[in-house]
This record gives sequence, structure tokens and C-alpha cells, in this order.
Amino acid sequence: MTFPPELLRIDVHGLVKRYHRHPVLNQLSLTINRGDFCLLVGDNGVGKTTLLRTLAGLVRPSQGAVTLYGADGPSNPLVRREIGYVGHQPMVYQDLSAYENLLHSARLYPLENREARISQALQALGLVAHQHQPVRTLSRGLLQRLSLARATLHQPSILLFDEPYTSLDQEAAGFLDRFLQNWHRPDRIILLAAHRPQRLLTLASHVAWLKDGRIDVHIPVSALAESPELNSYLGEVT
Amino acid sequence: MKAIGAYLGVVWQILRKDIQVEWRGRQGLPVMLMFALMIVFLFNFALQLAPDVQAGLTSGLLWVSLAFASTLGLNRSISLERENNALDGLLLAPVDRSAIFFGKTLGNFCFTTLVGLLLLPVFSLFYGQNLLRAPLFLVMLLGLAAYTSLGTLLSALSIQARTRDVLLPVLLYPLALPILIAAVEASRGVLAEQPLSEMSSWIYLLLAGVLIFNAAGLLFFETILED
Amino acid sequence: MPKKPVALVVLDLLSLILVPLAMLIIIVYTPVEVVMGPVQKVFYFHISAAWAGMVCFILGAVGGAGYLLTRRIRWDWLSSAAIEVGLVFSIIAIFSGMIWARPIWNTWWVWDPRLTTTAIMTLIYLAYFILRAGVSTPEAQARLGAVFAILAALTVPLTFFSIRLFRTIHPVVIAPADRTGGAFSMSPRMLNTLLLSLLVFTVLLVDLVWRRVRLAQLEFEMTREVE
Repeated sequence: MTFPPELLRIDVHGLVKRYHRHPVLNQLSLTINRGDFCLLVGDNGVGKTTLLRTLAGLVRPSQGAVTLYGADGPSNPLVRREIGYVGHQPMVYQDLSAYENLLHSARLYPLENREARISQALQALGLVAHQHQPVRTLSRGLLQRLSLARATLHQPSILLFDEPYTSLDQEAAGFLDRFLQNWHRPDRIILLAAHRPQRLLTLASHVAWLKDGRIDVHIPVSALAESPELNSYLGEVT
Repeated sequence: MKAIGAYLGVVWQILRKDIQVEWRGRQGLPVMLMFALMIVFLFNFALQLAPDVQAGLTSGLLWVSLAFASTLGLNRSISLERENNALDGLLLAPVDRSAIFFGKTLGNFCFTTLVGLLLLPVFSLFYGQNLLRAPLFLVMLLGLAAYTSLGTLLSALSIQARTRDVLLPVLLYPLALPILIAAVEASRGVLAEQPLSEMSSWIYLLLAGVLIFNAAGLLFFETILED
Repeated sequence: MPKKPVALVVLDLLSLILVPLAMLIIIVYTPVEVVMGPVQKVFYFHISAAWAGMVCFILGAVGGAGYLLTRRIRWDWLSSAAIEVGLVFSIIAIFSGMIWARPIWNTWWVWDPRLTTTAIMTLIYLAYFILRAGVSTPEAQARLGAVFAILAALTVPLTFFSIRLFRTIHPVVIAPADRTGGAFSMSPRMLNTLLLSLLVFTVLLVDLVWRRVRLAQLEFEMTREVE
């Protein structure tokens, strides 16, 4: 059972997440449409990770609703098939090789034509030469690519990135740029939390500013000029 | 039907992955076995029992060693998922999260049972008794099925705490006590050549444990792991 | 500070009156047991404390279930308050049990099923607090505490039966001073006293848990003001 692609939309209403007394996310509402590539910006610790993890189904809301396909949200296991999540950590097993990790992932979903998909992913991400090495030997840049491979192996419609550019060198960052460009299509959604959003403004279609537990501003990149506050914030963090 | 297939597929894949990682590193099992043997030696010298008294304690000692060794395995198994946040990878999978519970439990069960099976001939040697009996295998399988399912559940609990590794024994042993008592008594009965019918109460207790703890896993595992 | 509800004031007064009253009745009205002598009178509060501990345990599990179902923090206040009060009652039960055991069986501890189960329950209660202490966020404390409280409540019947079964197979050797094995027949006066003690402890239980919940609520409201 797959979900009708026309229904694809990230819809968040009144989202509250509380760990301590003071909620991290406080009545947050957000709508991201099919085809959008949205940058999520905000100070450190403001809740970008919490929001992304909630959308991925890794965090359970204290209150509020998250839906991705009409009535269904990430708590529905089948919806998770459409989600790809790249977090701070690569989510792989150190002692297994890149190939074995991808095979593990392929079996969990489960995916058809595993071998083909895996070798395609390894090729697309330039990991073929390193595919049989144990993951513990891979550099940060290669680990990042493996993370991308794992997240996209099942061809998800929603990609969630949590600060993927952190500690990437120039070359790796360029690679990620191209990857995102390729991945951005009208039938997909990309939501990317960025540490240094300025350089991504050429790639993204929208910007959302997370402040005080809510989305304060959510506008297309083309309309940035009309929002001086956000503009100057973006200028500051770069 | 397809959903059940996908569910079982995930359980199987998690077991497979755990075995694969263990095979690659080969650190978990030997350590568990060594630990169990060290306990046997320790008790031997600490208690300084006459040989004939010692023989009567075999079943108790067997289960104490297994319980302690198993804790090492349980900690290791869940720590594996913590490294690089691999657990999130499992949580993202399009399947009910209880499948993760059953997959990890099966893995823990297999490893602890392997240690147990290796201990049986060792104990036979040390205490001059034959522990390689079918009824004892049955008791061991039942006892470990109950123990490892409870242990897996609690290891998921303890991994969320700062005190992590140290917390698991604190949580596990008081709750596992009835299982250990039942397992020891049933084992003792087998070694005393009693028919299984004599030990039916203990066997039922073990079965109850298997049912209760696996049902608890089905119900609570996702709640334990949610953020 | 919110005003104390009338019902609670009534309970406070009742507890303050009933506990000394019960003690007086036990000393004056209740007959002395023929074999064990005056020390047997510890029994009334001992059983009542064990009873109260058990009720608190169940209340803790109910609170836990309530929290998991509703995710309202009030249920967690109930759960942790009940377990805290239950811990105190269990410790009282253990110490009073020891005081009773010493002159009768010439030993501080007897491995009888009820006492042993109470001791294990105490360990489980303590583990509950160690778990909560090791977890960083109030949300996780409530959630993981709830699961543990429910799991623990599920194992208590298992624990009781396994120990009782164990005792029937391995009866404890009785010291010469007591040929009855701790059992004695109760005269109507003794029965009445026991029922009264149980009632008094139930009132005390409700009073203490309620007060502890109020304390939790006050702490909660204080943190809100700080932020």
C-alpha cells in the first residue's frame, strides 16, 4: 500500500514537545508543500533537531498533530517508508562494511532488487572503492555519504536533514550540494536544518525560522528581501 | 499477510545482523563464557565446600553464572545500537517497533543459550555430574527465554539513563528472581533424576514468565524507546 | 499556596488519632499470645505495614498505567508518591518482622515467603528511584518509571509464588522455642485488633500518599515560577 503522491504535504498543527517544564516546541505550526526545498534556521538548541526527529517519527509529540499524507503521519509504519532522515550520527554499525550496512537497511524495509539498488547507491555516492571496508575506517566525509546512501536507498519522498554540512570539507560540501540539487524534484520534499544557511539560498526554495518554540517566519527564498529581520539573521549566522 | 511477512523479516534481519556483528568482532561470546567460568572458580574458592556439598549446588551455580554472564551480553547488545545511533535506523524502519524487541531478544537468547550449552559439559567435568540431559536443555531454554526477554526490555530502559551499564543489574535481578528460582529448582530436580511431572509447577512458572515478559515487550518496547 | 482540602485535614486528624489509639488497644485490649509472649504484638503493625506496602505498589503501577495512557503528569505524581510511601511501609514491615523473629526463632531473619517477598519489593522500590535518578528529563523519568512500576507489579505475584513453592520444598528448620512455625490461632479479640490495624494503616497510607502528591504538585508549580 503506497500513498497517493498528490497527498504529500508536511502538515504540523499545534505541535508541543516537552522534556522539562518549559516546552522546546510550543504550539508550532508549519506546512511544507510538495516540491519545496525548505531550509530550517534558528539558534543552537532552539529545537531544530527536535522538530526534524518528530517529523521522522523518532520523537513523540506531547501535543499536536503531524501528518505527511493527508491523515497519516510518521507514527504509521507505512508512512515511514517515505521518509529519509540524515541525523548528526550516521546510524551504521562500526564492524560491518558500507555494503553490509546498506544490505541491512535494504532488508529492513524490505526492498526489492536489493543488489541493484545498493550498487546504484554506492556508485551515485562514490563509495564503490570503500564498500567492503569496515565502517570504522571511513573518514567523516565518506561516513556522510554512507549516511546519505542509507537514507535514500528506499527512494523516500521526504528527506529530512539535520545539519548535514557540519565538519565537512570543501569537497564534501560541494558533493552534498550537487546531491541535494539532484534530489530536489517536484514530487519530493526536502527539509534541511542548516548551520550556515547563506550558501544554500541558491539551492533552496523556502526558509523557515524557528524561534521560541515556533516557526516565526516561513517564506520563499525569492521573498527574502521583504523580511529584513530574517535577512539580517541569515547574514549574522554565516 | 504481507505485513506479517515484513514484520518477521525485520525480526529475522535484526537477529542476523547481531550474529553478523558478533562474528565480525568476536568479543561478546568469549567474554561472556570467560566471565561465567570465573564465577564458577570464584564461588569454588569463596565457599570452600566439601565435594559432596558442592555437587548439590550445581544447578544454583549454573544459573548464577548464566544470569551474570547474560547481563554482559544484554549490555553489549543494546550498546551496539547506541553507537552511531544505529537504533534510530531501526526505529525509522516501516514496521511496528515491537519487532525490534523480538529481534534483539532472539539475539540475546541465542548468545546466552550458546554460553549455557558450553557451560554444561564444563560443569559436568567440574562436579562429576552429567548435565547433558534433554530435560535440562528444556529447562535451560525456557528459563533463558524468560530471562532474556525481561533482560532485553530492561536493557532498553537502562540505556536511557546516564548510569547505563550499572543500572541494568539493579533493575533486572529483583524482577528476574522468580525466574531464577524456578530455573534452579527445575534444574535441581532434573539432576536429581526426578520426572518432569514433579517439576510441573516450576515449568509453569517459567512459561508464565516467557508469556508475561514477551507480552510486556510487545506492549512497552516502543514506549521505552520513544524520545 | 493552595489551601489544604477539608478531606485531607480530616484524614490528618484521623491518622493522628487512630495510630496512637491502635497502639493503645494493642497494648491494653489485645490478649498476649500464649507461646510467643508479648513480642507477638508487633505482628499487628507488621502485617499492616506489609499490607500497606503492597497496596502502594499496586497504586504505583496504576499511576504508571494512568500516565502512559493519558500522558498527564498528575499520574506520575501519584505513581512516584505511592512508591515512595510504599518504600517506607515496606521497610517498617521488614524491621518489625525482624523484631518479631529474633526472640521467637533466635534469628534476625527468616526466609518465609511473605517477608522475603517484602524484602524483594523493597529492592525493587529502591531500583525504581535509582532509575529515576539516572534519567535526565522529567518526561523520561515519568515514562520509564511508569513502565518499570507496571513491570514490577507484574512480577510480584510470580515472586510470591516462587518463594512459597520454594519454602514448601525446602522448609526452614525451626528453633526449639517455637514449634508452631510462626503460625498461631487468633482469638476474636486478636482478629478485631488486626482488622483495626489494617484499617488504620490504610487511612495512614491514603493520607501520606495524598500529602506526597501535593508536595510533588507544589514542586512542579515552583519550577514553573522559576522559569
